[in-house]
Amino acid sequence: MTRLLLTGNAAAAWGARLAHADYVPAFPITPQTEIIDTLAGWIESGAMPGRLTMMESEHSMLTAACAAAAAGVRVFTATSSQGLLYAMEMVYAAPGLRNPFVLVNVSRGVQTPVTIQSDHTDVLAARDSGFLQLHCASCQEVADSVLLAYRLAERVRLPAIVNLDGFTLSFTREPVELPDAQEAARFLPPLAEAFGTTARPFSAGRSLAAGAAVLDSTAYTYFRYQSHLAAVAALQAWEEVSDTFAEQFGRRYDGVEAYRMDDAEYVFFLTGALAGKARGVVDRLRAAGCPAGLLRPRLLRPWPEAALRQWLRGRRAVMVVDQSLSMGKGGVLHGELASSLYGQPGAPLLLSFIGGLGGREIAAGELHEMATVARRAAEAGEAPPPRLLFTAGELRVVRKQQALAQVAEEEKR
Amino acid sequence: MYRIRFHGRGGQGMKTASRILGSALFLAGYEVQDAPHYGAERRGAPMHAVVRAARGPIQERGFVDRPDLVVVADEGLLAEAGAAILQGLDHHSLLLTVGREPAALWQDRLRLAGPVLALADAVIAAGERHFLGAFCAGAAARLLGVVALACLLQAVDDEVASFGEAAVARSRELAEAGWRGLEEHAGSVGEGSAAGASGQAPPDWIELQAEAGDLAAPSIHGGLSSIEVRTGLWRTQRPVIDYAHCRRCWWVCSEFCPDSAISVDADGTPTIDYAHCKGCLVCLAQCPAHAIRAVPERGASS
Amino acid sequence: MSETAFVRWRDLPRGRQLVGGAPMCAGCSGLEVLHQVLDVLGEKTVIINSAGCMSLLVSYPYSPLRGSWLYTAMASAAAGAQGMRDALDLRLAQGMPAEDDLQVMVLSGDGAAYGMGLSPASGAIERGLDFIYLVYDNEGYGNTGQQQSDATPHGAHTASCGSYRGWKKDLFAIWVAHRPAYAATLIGSEPLDLARKVDKAARLKGPRLLLALAPCPTGWDFDASATVEVGHLAVKTGIWPLKEYVDGRITHTKVPRERLPVEDYLVRQGRFRHLFEPRRDEARLGEVQAAVDAYWAELPGG
Repeated sequence: MTRLLLTGNAAAAWGARLAHADYVPAFPITPQTEIIDTLAGWIESGAMPGRLTMMESEHSMLTAACAAAAAGVRVFTATSSQGLLYAMEMVYAAPGLRNPFVLVNVSRGVQTPVTIQSDHTDVLAARDSGFLQLHCASCQEVADSVLLAYRLAERVRLPAIVNLDGFTLSFTREPVELPDAQEAARFLPPLAEAFGTTARPFSAGRSLAAGAAVLDSTAYTYFRYQSHLAAVAALQAWEEVSDTFAEQFGRRYDGVEAYRMDDAEYVFFLTGALAGKARGVVDRLRAAGCPAGLLRPRLLRPWPEAALRQWLRGRRAVMVVDQSLSMGKGGVLHGELASSLYGQPGAPLLLSFIGGLGGREIAAGELHEMATVARRAAEAGEAPPPRLLFTAGELRVVRKQQALAQVAEEEKR
Repeated sequence: MYRIRFHGRGGQGMKTASRILGSALFLAGYEVQDAPHYGAERRGAPMHAVVRAARGPIQERGFVDRPDLVVVADEGLLAEAGAAILQGLDHHSLLLTVGREPAALWQDRLRLAGPVLALADAVIAAGERHFLGAFCAGAAARLLGVVALACLLQAVDDEVASFGEAAVARSRELAEAGWRGLEEHAGSVGEGSAAGASGQAPPDWIELQAEAGDLAAPSIHGGLSSIEVRTGLWRTQRPVIDYAHCRRCWWVCSEFCPDSAISVDADGTPTIDYAHCKGCLVCLAQCPAHAIRAVPERGASS
Repeated sequence: MSETAFVRWRDLPRGRQLVGGAPMCAGCSGLEVLHQVLDVLGEKTVIINSAGCMSLLVSYPYSPLRGSWLYTAMASAAAGAQGMRDALDLRLAQGMPAEDDLQVMVLSGDGAAYGMGLSPASGAIERGLDFIYLVYDNEGYGNTGQQQSDATPHGAHTASCGSYRGWKKDLFAIWVAHRPAYAATLIGSEPLDLARKVDKAARLKGPRLLLALAPCPTGWDFDASATVEVGHLAVKTGIWPLKEYVDGRITHTKVPRERLPVEDYLVRQGRFRHLFEPRRDEARLGEVQAAVDAYWAELPGG
């Protein structure tokens, strides 16, 4: 066991190395690139066995990942933002092939306009694809989640996305405890063993046609629903996977992180690295007499519905903080949680806050204000309309930029 | 918790500074977080890097809004872009400037509530500004007073190793020089407290209204607005035309300037637009009459 | 060549289409080439931009351009050019005055042009689209820290490979195989040759390639002031042949009389340092020289 200062990107690369990933199809994109640069350096020097192939696009990269996974090697790949969107045809195609691999997504806002800063709109665009999704809140969790994701993916035979926030995790160093290679190998036996056979698919003399077209709706429905059932089954599998991990490494990763939830009445609900700051705010709210808590789904797919219902029964209000935006609807997490709680006895009031778009810093003071708004709403018995985190000062900044862009003059013509 | 910001330009080693200080604090037994903050990664563009260190786990992330120590590796930045650098400085925060000017000048000019120290950078040659990071890290470590010199030097070895032995040797010298330069101020930076709930003013959130499509799209009308962007601030070397030797060929320096920052008048006399010249010195290298020389930027203005 | 407006140096345009303040690195040859090309084309140009270093050329609210610009995506700028040209043609048919028409020009890095952008470009050429396709080729994914692209030359060190074993794809030949209206290689260090080609391209209709080698101080690891000098060496060593294709014929526009050894060019760049240190890699250097020799030997009169 070694404790090192690592960025989230380096932690992801270490996860792949400790998982003995054989094959890395790659394509650079900020802020993910450090992952493939790190792996390329290790493979070049011989520190890590395996092969990295630089592809000409993310679409090709993911296609190569699907093919190599089908041919029975352990595959790792990574992308961000526009890269994930460009690969989206294959993101939707991969799960139905029922071959596991791990894709790390370093979250970054999507165009238009282009940004390189973080938000979760990219990864949530892959929400309905069939990929499992693990969302991380620290660099330690990134390294661990890659190992966990392989074991989970190989158990239910679906590919998995491990998501980390751009910049706040990807470029931030913090202490990470790395398991030694032997321990990691004990947790994650070779792929062939996980499949219970040493015979590899796609060998001479063993005919296999994978990914066949299915034109009749009956069989189509069957195959599509099988992927869904496998994703749902991953919830149960996660229990075993995370229990084993906790026993072996002493770090426990429940499907939903619950912080100071025992008697909490006002609950922050969010994903990713923002959890750190929110925990600090929960502590300070508690010190000031407000019974606050925090729930953070680590698993976004499968969605840990039963656990969420259980945790939230009888609470007064939930402050859902979305770092994404579904145009014409609102925060994605808010909609997800509302659908899980509708009609449930003792369901809390849900408040929707949308912030963190394009890396917009969510200030601690804003989290405090959310709790204040939630208390007022609980007293009134009615949730206010969704709130965009955007201040008068920020609008003044935009107005200045619009003046420079001469947009106002143009409007007058 | 200690919260530190290093401000400099891309290429001056501020990320390295944060990593050296982060590693040194980690070796000294602290929990640590360090991170660079930049938009596009361009040499010469202003950027900063942060370090947090505490005895327990660190929950905070992102921008350091209440720094205990701000190190400015390049005085020029302070003169031009002071606001961003001074953000969140209060009576307990220490500002360390690295350069030529005395602390009293900055204390007076910036009207800061907290202490200001200045560290002369005479030991760093014009051609080795990329080593500023090690120098700043050494200075910062001494100001915190909780890092032994051996930890600092070990951290330099760890963080600079990939740049080769010569870089490690020079970085060690400069880290130690920074460290020694602040001997009498050892330990003068203390840990800041966690921001209290009471100290948080409620945000002035507004309702954003739907606006006309042209206003609501990232479109720029009329063009040429980038003249507002002072890329001249990136410059560390200033090209100066010696008009006595300029042959008025008119085209060489102007044509090769990547930034269209050299204009010529009807006589073929070139003029450099210092607000936008990035100091690449392609003009100096190409001038057939050798009529352009380079002046270190700080000396150029005086 | 008789119809060219650019016979002598003094014929080069004096006015600049770009203003300063663009966020490219100091000494960027891509930006240099863009100003040289636009200075000839003039402001009646709409750039259809592909993702690459130049994604940031227009960063709200700042544009350095006198003319127009539309951002698309990494793969499909040529398809964006199709939509723009078709719409302008429709508007012309609907009565838009001819003087309001724009030259449609894709601006792409090598990552997109040699890689994922190739299929949409091929489609556009096949359809006979009336557009210019300007490539700033810095032989790697520069915006993410210079990983290997399909344009990376043999033996180059990149962020994703120690010493590239492949060979640079011949994009000029791929375009020529499509029988476009025009194709040319350019370099910023030869502005007269560049201006003549841009002028010729501007007078033609149909698909037109302008492929510029863009020495990159950041990605190739040389001092920013040497951008033009490295370009000169690329031409004098025969590494970057300056040529054009028009009316079914390829003509070399600048044939180095006595080619310098390729290592004169390679030794100037950090990305080839491993071919010289700690010991000379005679095999690799020989391979690169042999490839250049073979290219010129195949030419009539070579």
